[in-house]
Amino acid sequence: MSQVGKLGYVDSKLGAPISGQQTTRILFNTIEAPGTTSSLSFFKNFQGLTNGQTNLTQNKLDSMESMVIKTIWLAQYSTTGVLSPVGGQNQQTLSIIVGNQTVVKNLPIQFNQGINGQAFDRLHENAGGVTQAIDNSVLAQNTQPCEIRLLTDIVIPPQVAFEVRLESNAGIYGTGAVVCALSGYGKIFSAGSSF
Amino acid sequence: MALSAQDKILYVANKLGLSSLGQMQGSTGAVYDVDTDISGQIFSSASRHQNPSVTNITENQFEVNEALLVETCAFYVRNAAGNTLNFQSVYGSNAVIVFDLVIGNKRVMKDTPVFAAGSPYTFANASNQTKVVAGINLETYVPRHQVFMEGAGILIPPQVQWYVDYRIFDVVTGATIAATDDTAVGCYLFGTRVLLNFNTTI
Repeated sequence: MSQVGKLGYVDSKLGAPISGQQTTRILFNTIEAPGTTSSLSFFKNFQGLTNGQTNLTQNKLDSMESMVIKTIWLAQYSTTGVLSPVGGQNQQTLSIIVGNQTVVKNLPIQFNQGINGQAFDRLHENAGGVTQAIDNSVLAQNTQPCEIRLLTDIVIPPQVAFEVRLESNAGIYGTGAVVCALSGYGKIFSAGSSF
Repeated sequence: MALSAQDKILYVANKLGLSSLGQMQGSTGAVYDVDTDISGQIFSSASRHQNPSVTNITENQFEVNEALLVETCAFYVRNAAGNTLNFQSVYGSNAVIVFDLVIGNKRVMKDTPVFAAGSPYTFANASNQTKVVAGINLETYVPRHQVFMEGAGILIPPQVQWYVDYRIFDVVTGATIAATDDTAVGCYLFGTRVLLNFNTTI
């Protein structure tokens, strides 16, 4: 089933509106100064974040909006903006919870970043560079964000709370920021002929 | 089976009553422009821009029976000397563009982030450049700042104005970043193009 078909199917099952502007949607959320911790929850806290740190104001989509997640994207920045591997080189797992259901469960992220070089998707370049240690400039980027392309379309329906959870054994996330983006196909509200 | 680009063009054209669009020349094309005014809008002032160094359009709408199905949207930087530069290598990895694509009076892409560090989908790029940092030659990545449209893209129909609204932020601090004449932001829209074909219309 195509992503367009799947979104329409799930929306109709839930009684959600199936009209709206079809588009490419990227949701993102930032956690500032996460430090060393065993768990990060994205799309949970929006307090104090600007439009450059998140494009949502709550952990759910509007009543006329829904989307299919195709890609999970993670990036870790230092306070000066230097990009580095998310959580250091330690293995971490990622889960996506939509409503009260875990729709992606304990997916390891370390293979798709750092110098491990074993990305799931054979089309993807391996992120990370061995010269990271001598990089002290935001203008000289020698690592890449971590990205995992999902094989199954995951739907976020309208007005259902969702969350992305990153778990580790004391992951080192630093004092800058960690950003999570969910990218895919979606529908946004379109007034059409009703206004 | 997924909708093809051509099917989507004809579907939208039919909805808009553009019955002759299907007889035009199908092609591949891209339009680009730079926000030289630092106004936060790209394409809206294209008519005043030099062609082709700044833009390749004379106005921000297509003529009769021409259209573009936007399948890729990308951002870059143009400096005062007219050079086309990578967004990350000018603004740094922590910058993020948040943009809307507006066609007519409708926002068809909403608050979409383009991360200087390299946006989602763009991971496959490994092109790099040598940069001297603290006297050391580093091989650095040149990230891609593109949005590859999911589904079949979005159609810009004939004779409807479009523009891109954007702002630049520091994703770490959340502060806005101001562009300058030397760091003007440009955008291109690439996809399946429909060109006016006189053979069937005259």
